[in-house]
This record gives sequence, C-alpha cells and structure tokens, in this order.
Amino acid sequence: MTSSPRLENFVAFSAQITAFNKVEIWGTGLADVYLDTIDGLVGAAVTDALLDAFAPIATLRSDAARTDRLRLEVFGSERLGPVARAIVKLWYIGVWYPLPSTWQEQFGPTARNDAFVPTPAAFVEGLLWPAIGSHPPGAKAPGYGSWRLPPNIPSF
Amino acid sequence: MSPFVKNPNRPDLAALQSDSDYDAIVVGSGISGAIIANELAQAGKRVLIVEAAPETDRTYEGYTEYLNHFYGQSAKDNQSPFPINPNAATPRGSELRKLDPLETNSSSYIVQSGPYVSDTVYTRVFGGTSIHWEAKTPRMLPQDFKTQTVFGQGRDWPIGYEDIETDYETAEREMGVSADVEDQKYLDLKFRDSYVFPMRGLPPSWLDEQVAQGIDNSQVELYGERYALKVRPFPQARNGIPNPAYDGGKGFEPTSAVASHQIDIGGRCQGNTNCVPICPVQAKYHSGKTLAKAFETGRVDLLSQAVASKVIIDDASGRVTGIETKVYHHVSSPAYKTVTLRARLYVIAANAIETPRLLLASGLRSKSGLVGRNLMDHAYLLNWALMPQICGTTRGTSCTSGIVDLRGGSFRRSQAAFAVDIHNDGWGWATGSPSTDLVELVDDGNKFGRDLRNAIIDRVSRQLLLAFMIEVMPSESNRVTVDPTYKDPLDNMRPVVSFAVPEYSMRGAAYARQFAKTLFARLGAEDHTHYDPSNYGFIAYQGDPYEIRGGNHLAGTHIMGSDPSTSVVDADQRSWDHDNLYLVGAGSMPTIGTANVSLTMAAIAYRSARKIIATLNH
Repeated sequence: MTSSPRLENFVAFSAQITAFNKVEIWGTGLADVYLDTIDGLVGAAVTDALLDAFAPIATLRSDAARTDRLRLEVFGSERLGPVARAIVKLWYIGVWYPLPSTWQEQFGPTARNDAFVPTPAAFVEGLLWPAIGSHPPGAKAPGYGSWRLPPNIPSF
Repeated sequence: MSPFVKNPNRPDLAALQSDSDYDAIVVGSGISGAIIANELAQAGKRVLIVEAAPETDRTYEGYTEYLNHFYGQSAKDNQSPFPINPNAATPRGSELRKLDPLETNSSSYIVQSGPYVSDTVYTRVFGGTSIHWEAKTPRMLPQDFKTQTVFGQGRDWPIGYEDIETDYETAEREMGVSADVEDQKYLDLKFRDSYVFPMRGLPPSWLDEQVAQGIDNSQVELYGERYALKVRPFPQARNGIPNPAYDGGKGFEPTSAVASHQIDIGGRCQGNTNCVPICPVQAKYHSGKTLAKAFETGRVDLLSQAVASKVIIDDASGRVTGIETKVYHHVSSPAYKTVTLRARLYVIAANAIETPRLLLASGLRSKSGLVGRNLMDHAYLLNWALMPQICGTTRGTSCTSGIVDLRGGSFRRSQAAFAVDIHNDGWGWATGSPSTDLVELVDDGNKFGRDLRNAIIDRVSRQLLLAFMIEVMPSESNRVTVDPTYKDPLDNMRPVVSFAVPEYSMRGAAYARQFAKTLFARLGAEDHTHYDPSNYGFIAYQGDPYEIRGGNHLAGTHIMGSDPSTSVVDADQRSWDHDNLYLVGAGSMPTIGTANVSLTMAAIAYRSARKIIATLNH
C-alpha cells in the first residue's frame, strides 16, 4: 500500500469515526481498498468533501469537541452524513450498505446499489469483532478452549 | 491422521454404463452414503457413488473456495458458502415468503404448498449436508424408540435402543465425538459400563457458565411433576482432546482435514464459531473424511454432477435393474447426457426429501403408499434476551451446552419434549445480529466513534439466544410429493412439501415460551423476543404469537417398521417392495425425539451395511 496525504486523511477520519487508532486502521490492510471503493461508488468529489470537512475537526484537541463538530458538520450533513454512516458500517462489518434512495435522488446515483463485500478480507478484518474481544466467525480463531475464559474486551 | 484423497480421473461415462460388475450403487455422498460405501469397500465390494453436485470440496483447495465465497457474501445465511447450482439446487431460506391460505409458492426450489412454510434446508454439495451441519450428536433416549407404547404418541421403532447401542458407539468413533460420558448420563440414557467417548468433552463456554450459575439446581413443574434443571454440555462430532482411556486404553486418533496433499489442520477445534455453515479447518466431521478412506481402497468410484432421475424396476420381480442418471457438464448449463447405471444392489441415500422425490418421480409409492409421508423436522422456537452482565458472546463452537432435562418425561403423553441450545453465536439466527445491531446503532442510534464502540459491546456481548428444539411426531399428511408442473432445469420433478406443525408440537412450543420466560426471570435477563406476523414461520396458537423455524433435521419419508403395509423399509432399511433396494438415512426414522438426527442416522447405516454385505456374500 503506498501512502498519500489523501489516504492518510482517510485513515485519520476512519480512526475517529470507529474509535480504533490509526495503527489499527492501517493494520487491516484495507484503507486503500476502501478509499477506492468509496470513490468508485459516490465519486471522488464527495469523498474529498468529506475529508475536507474533517480536516479542521481533526485539529481539535478533545474527542468530545471532535464528536460535536462531526455530528454537526459531517453526520448531520445531508450530503455527507449517509456516506459517513456507510463508511462506519464498512469498517465494522466489511459490508457496504447502499445509500438511502433520497440521497441518490438528491446527489446522484451510486455506481452500485446493493449491499456487498468489497473483498473477502473485508469481512475477516471487520472491527466489530476486536471491539467485543472476539473474532469474525470462520476466521482468526482464538484457539481450543479459549471460549471457557472470561471475555477480554479491549479498552480504548 | 491426515487421510489423503485419491483423485482418480472422472470415470468415463461409456465405460461406466457398460460396467456390470459394481456390487452397489450408492446415490448421495452424505453421511449415510459415505458410511455404506466405505463399509462395503472395506469388505472388498465395488461401489459406485452417484453425486448430484460437483466434487469441488473433495480437495482442500475446493473446500477453501467455499470458505472464501462465505467471507465475500454480504448476507451470511446458512447456505452462503455454497454457490448457486440450478442443476442440483440447494434450498435457501432467503427464497421464502409467507403463503396466503391455500397458496402454493413454486419460486423456491422446494415447492411450498403449506400451510406452514418451512425454512428447513439441506446442502447439495459433495459430502451433502455434512459440510453445513452443526455436528451435535446426542443419542436418542431409550424411551424415544417406543413413544406409542409409553406415551400413546407417534410410532414405535421396530428396534430398540439396545439394538443399536453398539452401532451408536461405531458411529461415535467414525464421526469423532467429543463428550464426557458422565455428562451424558441423564434421564434413561445409558452407556456400556466401561464406555468412554473417543475424545474428551469440549469445554463449556463462559456464557454457558453464566447461565448455569443462574439456573442450575432450580426446578420447573410440569403436569404435577418436578424437573431439576442443569446446564449440560452436548456431545459433538468435532475434534477435541483424545481420551487415552478410549477403546480399552488404546486411545483415539482424530481425523483432521482431508486433502490431496499433506496438510496439518483440523486435528482440534480452534473456536472459529462457524460450525454452521462451514468449519474453516475441518475439525468438524464431514462425510468426506469417511469417503477418503473409501476411495483409498481403490474399489470406490465417484460419478459427480450426476443427478439420479429414475429408479428402474423389473415389473415381474420388483427388483431394481438400474438407475437412470442425468450427467451435466457445467453448473451454468442445463445440457446433460442420460446414462443408465447398473449394479447388484442399490442404495438411495439422498436425504429425506430427495430420496422420496426420486422414488415418487420414478412412480414408486410402495405398497404402503407411505413414500414421502410422515415428513418430520424439529420445530425450533427461538427466545432471545440480554444478560445483565457481559458474557463474551460470539466465542466458542456454535453451541457447547444446553438444557436437556425436558427431553423425556411423563408429560410427553400431552405435549412435545424439547432440548434447549444455548447459542454461543448470539442472536444471529433470530435477528441477523450483529450486522443488524450495527446498522440500527449507526443509522437509527446515530452512534459513531467511542459511543458506537461502547454500544456494540453492550448490545452484542450480553446476548443470550435459547433455541428450543421441539419434537415433531410423524403425521401422514406432512409429506413430500412431486408434480410434473414443477421441474428443475434438468427436467427432474422438484419436491413439493406440505407441512403443518402438529398440535402436540405447538403445545410443546407454548410451554417452551413460558419456560424461556421463567429462565430469563431467574437470570435477570431482558427478554427481547418478538415474533413477527409477516414472517413465513409465524403461527398464532391459542391467541399467542410464535415463529417456528425449521431445524434441517429432515426425517421420516420412508419410515421403517415391521409391517410392509404400514412402513416403507424394514429394520435394515431394505425396501419392502424391492429386495435389492435400500433407502437409507433419517428418512427411515419413525420418530426423531429430541436428538439431532445425524448420529442415529449414522448408527442405522452401519446396521444396513452389515445386512448389505451379508446379502452380497450370500
């Protein structure tokens, strides 16, 4: 994966909206795949607008302040909110869920309009599983008998 | 041990057709077919296996293709690893919808003629549904074999527990069952004095322990009798730690993944939490492990992509003279070639829907008229709640323990028995969790970042799903038929299923719901169960809502008995009407009690194999 300022901005944005750190986001090996996927679906102009909106927010010191501004300017934006929510879901479970039809009517159709997994690795690298101290079904098995132990849910 | 799969060339069709020296043709490569083929081959017999599906997963690489296909599906239902094959279609729950009164829905492979729509499935791949199954292997209770005599319900088997106890042991060896015998002695279930299972029981999950702390030693009262409850591990055909005391101290060597080359995985379960629909490492038994041994003898041939379409009978003798089979070249094309395959003896092991489908499509209803009738499956009622504490849900095998104290008892005179599974994989079966939880938290809950991460932990890690596996007794009106109106691309008639959940089972379901509420109260768990009237499995019973799900434990369409006028096969699964024809599988079971059917099906396959070998040697 070759890095670029745009990709680094996408990783920083992804880290903020998933509550995983940038190292964990890079560690999935999927940041560039996802950025390409999103560009292909909604057009690079929309992705750029999302990243541009996040740039000043990223400089804020407190997580609470960043969250407030994200609510107002990204998740609460008619154009950017549905895309941001789709990106959260993509990182957590590896599935791109189609954007609402109202979004597509207002801002143009997306290249695909079905739920899909961009690459089999997307499911395996879903962040939902480490978030709950578990593993994706069918992959990254924790070992015989590990299920007997109390759950070890990582703090963040 | 890592059995190598020999990869002979696909048999030449012309040569097969002129080959008159097979001792047996076995239709179907699932558990029953595999056991019979292997037993015959080990006894020196020549066998041809006819399998409707491609042999993709016969190699490790092919098996892994299924796993990658599974990863790549956005909706991971219980058939998601297995690609669409119209020529030998696999039923899929996603194809179903609720029926209007008297409506028939033929848009799914199984034509649903109602009134109840079952989402029961089976898998048409090499190895059959053993690739997909969960691999719970409880034995039937001794009382399950004589429910008519003891409870005035269902039908008695022509054989008893004591007649198949040794075959249960053989099946447990072949399938590699992990369990501790002291955990499995309950109700009237008994084991030979020195018996131990091949491998030690799989450890219970942390979730099991949380449930046990809340309910162990508490009681319920039913028809004036009290039943003590206990969370108990299930026996599983899944590799664990071999028991050195097995086989009089000889121990046990698990069978790991099968491959065409050396590969060293699957010797022990790793906790992938994905037993259904596919175990990534093959720690779970599937019939490919038995077939690998059969192929090693050099006496077993496999004809894949070959759908048996007609059993040909000599009218004078009633004997089978051949199996007409349609061989297709590719799953994407309906082009096929018809061949007639011959052997001394024929074994149909195509499952409890496909076996009667083939017989009925061949015009063979049996003198009893019972081919296709008495279709059974367990009726599942799901109950789901949030535990008060984090339980680490989504870890372990799909299910490690459950509550089995109400599998038997005098209440069976009035209502169905059940076994309860504690699902380690959360609410997925009931609600599509955790993806549905995620979508709700993000789209409706407006959660992201830290709030989302906390909410996901709170929502998923406390999930408890209790799946009640409710007994269904045989009823002649629950049946599989065929109708020339409904055909598949190979011009084979598709199965038409008519099913109603019997009153006896619904009484069990009503009690199951009450029982679940009692357990949730004892655990301090928040009940989130709701049954949706628009769901295809919705049933209103005595004014209350239920959703009944299929259990994929298909049975009973060619039931065994001691009288040819009231059964299709004898106690050896030999057809009463055609003396060189055996119909093997759970379809022969007259009742299914509260045991997942595969272990019993495997046990009676050993019984049939002995009879077949004796007949061939005669």
